[in-house]
Order: sequence, then structure tokens, then C-alpha cells
Amino acid sequence: MTMPDDVRLLTEELARDPNSLAFVTLGEALRRQGQLDMALKVTLRGLARHPYLPDAHDLGARICVDRGEIERAFEEWDMVLTLAPGHLGALKGLGFVCFHRERFADAERYLSAAAAADPQDEQVERALRHVRTARADGWTEPLAHALPASLMDDSRYLFVNVLNEEGQTALLLDRDGLVLAGAYVGADGKDVAQEVGAELSGVTEAARRTTRHLSMGDWTSIVFETEVAVVAMAPSQHDGLLVLATSRATPLGLVRRLLDKCSDRAGRWLEERV
Amino acid sequence: MATPFTHMLQSLARQRGVIAALVISERDGIVIDSYVQVGHSADRVAALAAKLFRKARLSAGAAGLGAVSFMQLEAQSGRICAAGAGDQVIVILAESGINVGLVRGELLRSAAEIGALDGQGFR
Repeated sequence: MTMPDDVRLLTEELARDPNSLAFVTLGEALRRQGQLDMALKVTLRGLARHPYLPDAHDLGARICVDRGEIERAFEEWDMVLTLAPGHLGALKGLGFVCFHRERFADAERYLSAAAAADPQDEQVERALRHVRTARADGWTEPLAHALPASLMDDSRYLFVNVLNEEGQTALLLDRDGLVLAGAYVGADGKDVAQEVGAELSGVTEAARRTTRHLSMGDWTSIVFETEVAVVAMAPSQHDGLLVLATSRATPLGLVRRLLDKCSDRAGRWLEERV
Repeated sequence: MATPFTHMLQSLARQRGVIAALVISERDGIVIDSYVQVGHSADRVAALAAKLFRKARLSAGAAGLGAVSFMQLEAQSGRICAAGAGDQVIVILAESGINVGLVRGELLRSAAEIGALDGQGFR
């Protein structure tokens, strides 16, 4: 991993020569350090000077994925392929995005091209097998295995193999309302998981008090319908909380089944780590 | 004495498993009208349900999800369902085995009626 010293050196190089291509390395270093806003800023500044540099757009796409901005990532990778047809990173990235949207035919097309570009890439080969299985079965359970390596261990994608439709998202919060896993992508495409989680976790204390005073036993779920979403919550291990949000169009019965599935997924994930 | 809410509450109370049906003020948890089976305190249910609904409404608003129209709390041995109509909330306390679909439909219809009554000055 690039160390802070390297970030400093690259920053100095860019200060000396604003036209330097060092912005790609610097942006990648910042991304790996989790400084996503700064990484995006550096990348966008670099792209302003080098708008036709495929690797810079590829970096921009990966930063967008890290920020939960999948739509924007798609556009960036699409630009990469316009500039450099056959770009391996873009083919893999677009394969992932299309799989995420259940556009299996497109996912297969991108991943097949990626496999042709690099036949030795086992990750692409594995992802391609899963896409073909999904196309044949209409089943998306193995999606996690089809994610790019950089995302496979990313807890923000914990529920992607359970939630299949646009507008469905889930969060796992700890007892303090902090996000353990999952993502909440707002209307502007940004991940606002922490803010939403903090607000919604406050409902559980009111639920606990209500069930205790009315002798109803422990609460098992809360569902509320709002103007824009259906939100369902269930207690999780270690006093945690699972929050699921779906579009208003999702039937309540399906919301409940999705909540159960997410609970199972979260339970298994926590057991592997505790 | 019959109130504008009596027929709504009677209709809800007829649903199998419903223990209490109330129209309450969300702001202060005060009972406006209620049907409650013997052995249950309308005031207690109202206060707790109002607080829960208010918390859900504020949290959803802060999270950018908009106004809450319906809420359901499920516990090991019972449920609370509520629908909002302005400052007023219509609430039921019920056993676990109720038909939630029926109750939800009834609550949302009642909430719409309360909203209409509000518009006519019945507050």
C-alpha cells in the first residue's frame, strides 16, 4: 500500500507540474487510504487537464463505486471503453454493475470480453460462470462471488446477493447506531448509511419501552411506510439493528421476507467475524 | 357519547384479535376516543403509541424518507399498528395472530376519514 510519504511526494510533484500524470497514482493512493472525497477531487482536477486518459476515468469509476455511486461509476467505465475499447478494468467493472442490476446478458458480454482480454484472470472466469448460472436459473445467490476482488470483502456489499431490485438497500448497525455493513444510497447517488442509520436506530429505544410497558415480550420487527419508502427493522445480534429500505412499490409481504433473508445473511456474517 | 370517531373504532375493534383501538394526539399522547378491552389502560397505550409513532415520524423525516403513513411494531406476544392523520394517530393494540392486511387497510381508510374530518373542523 502507498504510504502517506508517497502521497506527500506525489502531491509535491503535482504542485510543481500540474500537467503531471501523477494525479492517477495519487488518486489511487488516496482511494486506498479511504480518503474518497480527496481522491475524487484529485482525479477530477486531473481529468480537467487530461480528459481522454482512460486510466483516470477508470480510477474515477472505482472511487464512485467506493462512494456507493454505482450509476456514475457506470458512466465513467462507459467512457473508458469509448476511449480504450478492451480496457480490462472497465470491462470487469461494467460486468459487475450490470450483474448488480440483473442485466445478465450485458454482464456476460462484458465479462466474456474481459476473459478474452486476459484468459489467465481466474476472478473474471469465476464471475463469468456465475453470470451464466444466473442467466440459466434466474437466481442471483452467488452474486457475491462475482464481485470484483476489491469489493468481495467490502462489507458495504453484504446484502447485494439478497436485494435484487433498484431501491432496495439494507444496513447492519451496532448497538451505538454505527454502520457495520451495508449501504444506503440516497437519491443523489451518495452513500448516506451512517446518517440514516443514526436517525432510524433511535426508534428502537421507543419500541423497547413500549413492548416492556405493555407486556408484549421483546420486539421482533418494526415496519413503517413513508412517502418514498418502506422501512423495516429487526433486532440483530449483540444489540445490533438491521434496517431494510425498499421502494413504496414493494409489497409488504415481500418486505418481510427480504428482512428475514437479510437477518440470516447478517447473522452468518457476524458469526464469521465474532 | 358518540364522537366522529366512534364508528371507525367500532369497525376496527370488530377485527379478530384487536384488543384496543384508539384515536390519539401524537403531540401529547392524549386519548381523543378509544375502544379498549377490560384490563387494559387506554392512557398507557396512547402515551406509548404516540411516542413510538412520533419517534418513527421524526426519524423518517430526518433520514429524508418523508412522512410516515403507517407503522407496525411486532413483538413476541402482540402488535401495535398505527396510521397518521396530521397530529392525530389511529392506533390498534392486537394479538400476534391478527390479519395485518385487513387491519392496515382499515387503519389507512380511517386515517383518511380523520383527515377529511380535520378539513371540516372536527378537532
